[in-house]
Amino acid sequence: MDGTNIQTAADLLFAAGRDGAPIAPVRGLLPEGDVAAAYSVQALNTERALAAGRRLVGRKIGLTSLAVQRQLGVDQPDYGMLFADMARGDGEDIAAREVLQPKVEAEIAFILGRDLADAELTVADLFLAVEYAVPAVEIVCSRIANWDIRITDTIADNASSGLYVLGSRPARLTGFDPLLCGMVMERAGEPVSVGAGAACLGSPLNAALWLAKTMARLGRPLRAGDTILSGALGPMVAARPGDVFDVRIEGLGAVRAAFAKE
Amino acid sequence: MSAGLAALAARLDEAARTATATAQLIETHPDLTTEDAYAIQRLSIQRRWQRGETRAGFKMGLTSRAKMQQVGVSEVTWGRLTNAMRQQEGGSLRRSAFVHPRAEPEIAYIIGKPLAGEVSAVEAMRAVEAVAPAMEIIDSRYANFKFSLPDVIADNSSSSAFFIGSWVRPETDVANLGIVLEVDGRAVEIGSSAAILGHPVRALVAAARLLGRAGESLMPGDILLAGAATAAHALRPGEHIRAAIQNLGAVSFTVEA
Repeated sequence: MDGTNIQTAADLLFAAGRDGAPIAPVRGLLPEGDVAAAYSVQALNTERALAAGRRLVGRKIGLTSLAVQRQLGVDQPDYGMLFADMARGDGEDIAAREVLQPKVEAEIAFILGRDLADAELTVADLFLAVEYAVPAVEIVCSRIANWDIRITDTIADNASSGLYVLGSRPARLTGFDPLLCGMVMERAGEPVSVGAGAACLGSPLNAALWLAKTMARLGRPLRAGDTILSGALGPMVAARPGDVFDVRIEGLGAVRAAFAKE
Repeated sequence: MSAGLAALAARLDEAARTATATAQLIETHPDLTTEDAYAIQRLSIQRRWQRGETRAGFKMGLTSRAKMQQVGVSEVTWGRLTNAMRQQEGGSLRRSAFVHPRAEPEIAYIIGKPLAGEVSAVEAMRAVEAVAPAMEIIDSRYANFKFSLPDVIADNSSSSAFFIGSWVRPETDVANLGIVLEVDGRAVEIGSSAAILGHPVRALVAAARLLGRAGESLMPGDILLAGAATAAHALRPGEHIRAAIQNLGAVSFTVEA
């Protein structure tokens, strides 16, 4: 693995985000399909963000749909870092300059009340650690022009993360059905994406557990207070200026992502 | 043209009865209108009444934006259900009795009071006696499942069989229920009842309007299948099919050869 190339890919992605100017895919700089190399790229930019004083507040999980995994030729999800400056309020205007080629996904977010530091975790640990669940909209963005991504591009690019919006009314895990909960995302009253909890790796808890174990194993465990964006419950939808997306997750609640008009 | 319509109706009825695909009607009748198509549907189903089948209700079709766009229309369609189309929940379905059957999860309403014409959602819901999880078996009688709008309407909106699960109270909120269609315990389609026109009750309102326009109405005891909530799954012998719907329960059957 060539360290120079990893640094180059990280620099290119960082500059693309800073300048709001999408770049050509970075996969050519990395061995084909080398997920570990791609995470090394991501890690360089995570260190850069932390050194600049950005606050790490959680993780996002991507590629939680089997159909999307097949498209990208992988058999597991991926993760990216969430920083405090990526959070937006429920229904708050999001300006076009804050996002790059934005698409929206409806998800369930989990807010942890305790650390998940043990590498030998079970779903029972998750039950005890999740303080709240809340509907969320993830606004995925790509620093790669035209979303021309393969697996190493998206992982290197912080799992194509952008911004996220949490609902205003956190709920307990016991109050809804994480597997069969229906999800509808409407734009101007028209359903543009529908799905259910099971679309996220069979259950959003499966995805969250995969993340918690992976993070503990890598020595950067999830901590009390962290937000987990567990993965899309339905297909993603491209967002345009002026779009308002309303997400309802049956039994859990609602959240709105609003894009400012041009 | 009515003699011509009767001949087309007979052709579709025979295709359904013998599970043999037929050519699209518009190949030989390119000017076929939607009105002609509903007339063919009525004539075709009349042949079933003559064979002793009885009325079970109606089904709504093209209830998702995606399907409307596919066919290039902005209105839902409807078809008729007969008692012979009703299958035993938990039982089996004979694959060979159909041309190329597919299963799709649905929400079923059972009607308690007559309903027809322009009605509000509240009026429609007051006519509902109960709701249930359901699966519809759609089976186009046209080769390769390819058809135009008049073709599919004439073909009873592809309806061919249905399964109904346990009825629950009519006030159960069905606006946005998660739905998982499983084959042998593996999820193959995942969606929400919100895919049905944004809310299944809109399909009920549309049924009242369209049936009223056709001089029909929903009557007590009628079942209304409100429309597909996910893409359909093509059935293969040996498969165990199960649709689970949030807060309503599940419906299942096994596919026989």
